[in-house]
Amino acid sequence: MTDQEGQLPVRVTLNGQPASFLAAPRTSLSDALRDKLRLTGLKQGCEIGVCGSCTILVDDKPIRACLMLAVQADGKRIETIEGLATNGELHPLQASFQRHHGLQCGFCTSGMVLTALALLRDNPAPSRDEAREAISGNLCRCTGYETIIDAIVDPDAMRATQVGHG
Amino acid sequence: MSGRAAYIADLAFPDVLHVSILRSPFAHARITAIDVSAARAHGGVVQVWTGADVLPRCGGVMARMELPGFVPTVQPILAHDIVRFVGEAVAVVVATSQAAAEDALELIDVDYDELPVVADIASAVAAEVIANEAVPANLVYRGHRCQDDVDNDFARAACVAQGRFSNNRVSATPMEPRGCIASHEWTSGQLTVWSATQMPSFLKTMLAIHLAFPEQRIEVITPQVGGGFGQKAHVHPEEILVCLLAIELGRPIRWIEDRRENLLSATHAKHQINEMAIAVDADGRFLAMRNRSSTDGGAYNSLPWTHLVESHVGASTLTGPYRIANFNDESLSLVTNKCPIGAYRGVGWSAGHIARETLIDRAGRELGLSPFEIRRRNLVDQSDYPFTTPTGLVIREGTFVQTLDRLEQMVDYRSFRERQTAALAKGKLLGLGLCVFNEVSGVGTRALSFLHTPVTTHDTATVRVEPTGKITVTTPLVAAGQGHLTTFAQVAADAFGVPLDDVTVLAGTTRNAHGFGTVASRGAVFGAGTIGRAAEAVKVKIRQLAAHLLQTGAERITLSEGRVHVTGSPEQGMPLADLAGAAYFADATHPPEFDPALEATAAFDPADVVLANGGHAAIVEIDLETCLVRVDQMFAVEDCGKMINPMIVEGQIRGGIAQAIGMTLLEELVHDGEGQLVTTTLMDYLLPTSVDVPDVQIAHLETPSDLVPGGVKGMGESAMISAPAAIIGAVNDALALVGASVESFPASPQRIFDALQRASKVDAVPAL
Repeated sequence: MTDQEGQLPVRVTLNGQPASFLAAPRTSLSDALRDKLRLTGLKQGCEIGVCGSCTILVDDKPIRACLMLAVQADGKRIETIEGLATNGELHPLQASFQRHHGLQCGFCTSGMVLTALALLRDNPAPSRDEAREAISGNLCRCTGYETIIDAIVDPDAMRATQVGHG
Repeated sequence: MSGRAAYIADLAFPDVLHVSILRSPFAHARITAIDVSAARAHGGVVQVWTGADVLPRCGGVMARMELPGFVPTVQPILAHDIVRFVGEAVAVVVATSQAAAEDALELIDVDYDELPVVADIASAVAAEVIANEAVPANLVYRGHRCQDDVDNDFARAACVAQGRFSNNRVSATPMEPRGCIASHEWTSGQLTVWSATQMPSFLKTMLAIHLAFPEQRIEVITPQVGGGFGQKAHVHPEEILVCLLAIELGRPIRWIEDRRENLLSATHAKHQINEMAIAVDADGRFLAMRNRSSTDGGAYNSLPWTHLVESHVGASTLTGPYRIANFNDESLSLVTNKCPIGAYRGVGWSAGHIARETLIDRAGRELGLSPFEIRRRNLVDQSDYPFTTPTGLVIREGTFVQTLDRLEQMVDYRSFRERQTAALAKGKLLGLGLCVFNEVSGVGTRALSFLHTPVTTHDTATVRVEPTGKITVTTPLVAAGQGHLTTFAQVAADAFGVPLDDVTVLAGTTRNAHGFGTVASRGAVFGAGTIGRAAEAVKVKIRQLAAHLLQTGAERITLSEGRVHVTGSPEQGMPLADLAGAAYFADATHPPEFDPALEATAAFDPADVVLANGGHAAIVEIDLETCLVRVDQMFAVEDCGKMINPMIVEGQIRGGIAQAIGMTLLEELVHDGEGQLVTTTLMDYLLPTSVDVPDVQIAHLETPSDLVPGGVKGMGESAMISAPAAIIGAVNDALALVGASVESFPASPQRIFDALQRASKVDAVPAL
């Protein structure tokens, strides 16, 4: 079957706005978001759910977009990295990653930021160990993780996530 | 971070065609027939090529080193007649979608006749089977750095420590797999290539040669690169293939590999066996070292590094920063039926350092010396400078003893031994290991010559002061996360005395300056060197014009805080913007014969080997139930000369240490006896996660280099040179409590279990 055949409509709330697209049943959500909606902030590092680079939030939960079929997202609320910065200003958690040098090549970063955002919404003041545990399913080859944890437990990032920006 | 940076897979082209590559399922086999007819007929398929289609267009990737006795190889772009490793490219499908290309790939029917396989170093040496008929006796190169007579030293030694250390085959595994897109515009004859490469200028030249295409009409563009670590510092056959298809089909061709392809066919690394011995006298002083290092190099040489990037390069600094008078070594680079070996952070140094430091610890234990004391008695010290090592490396600077002292304070050695004893009583094995190193950094022509991998390299940069006094820099160096653009902007800002925001650095296209690549801890050194020299040439003009306007001598002009002024009198001068404006637009202000071009291009190549240095220490705990090794604490001391940006330096240290933990404890590309790779996903090939890597305690020493403008030394490789040795040292320190040791890596639970089974003093641990 080629992409042109048997496509199904998918309606989602995407970064707060209604969106819809057509997807073949076998198309992964990560492929659909990248190819059909051009939301290329999520990255594909393994496509079997191990590396975490394609992590997005679906109904507030961090999920691996490569392991979810696009048609399964119908009716769901999706948040991607593109929805975080507003009016040309980085989200405080993104700013914290930048301030702490919590990224080098940047490939894992969108997945890391969204995983961290889900943690902070659940747990407003995580310990270093809790932050370390929360990102343990997201691989980073550059940083050694320490500065990512610094960025997550930064008071500004933790506070801002609770008051409106979240 | 904002999701806006464009990596290779994020680039969109309206009429792009997608590529999928069929790879060999056998390590060594003759291709007797390929039937691509069903694939050609599949919907959406535009082209299918096999080796026979490619061979007339390009003979393959030629890789050689200009050394007598070196056997070069040619890796076909697509295999023809014979496949020589699992994962070698056999056929390519080009289609209108990735899905169609991958579907059609399954319709290609290949008949193989399996051939005997050279699956390891032992069978390569035996040479009863030949892995690649271009390489007689499976030997690409046999190297000797030193052939000192060491027999007397070993005969009179109070202690001889020796071992056979099998280092694991690993993959650099950047989070972003490789990828390349090429577009050929037949009307202009322009070939544009987007590649996630660390060496765009070199790739451009190699494409010109391999495609027989005019180099001036090739542009290589480097988008954001998702990590390289050396793996993206090669010319890959796929890059040539994509260009050939773009020229043939007249449409943009896109190849983005998946993780399985990356683990199968992107260069592997670190696979060597070191048979090493050191002779030590009764006072703990090193007398001599002997080593035979064999590289399991895979079926072909990689371009440009070749098999020599492992054992051969490793031998160059094997005696390290120690006074070892006599050294006798041999390095063998052997062909096997595996993916080619290539560059990965720390290159051939990692494995040799593990072997050497393990033996030093063993000698220390035998002689009753602490790991710090035995090293202190042997480290080259300031009073020895200039010190020439047996391999001819001249050490003129370095803070080895200070590094050792600092590490000893950081780990609090005495209290560690107390903790270790207390833990043992509770059935826990703690261990401490360390390594002190020097790094051949900022690798240029002299360093490559010293490493006996003779390649001439230099880079250039262009610096322009714009009419409004802003600074534009162009560099050939590309960043894959090392933060080079910030570093380079800082160099230019400092040179002109302007704020960082006044500088823009243009990178990422070969239309800019020329260079070798962002490899081998070169970025900071060559960036500082080239930009510093080009800035200096522009400043000569600025000083000349300012001196004329201020009626003083050019030598009395200073640039600082955005102004050009008389030294010591900031008020006697003008904003840089005013001076630049005068140069561009006010001819009447110019001195006679003034050349108003406020722009210069300058080359840089260090006049000698640039040596950084430092050390690492690790404290680990071995769980006797699970045989898992947990790294509790890591310590790093780094002296990379003048630090342009400490945060970036520390990021390199932490990232390198994480990779060292992976290489020594987790990561292993496992081949079976038939040369079949069995670790082809990230579920089998284990990268360290956040719970495997502790926070790192870092201390800096800062000894500026005399060889590089600004006193910079490179440091990107450092943690992968020395931290692996520290970690394995710690594992063996813990195992020594029960009379056990490991010499095969990674130190996985199975290997720890086996070591404990063999242990001579198991009853030392109550829990056992």
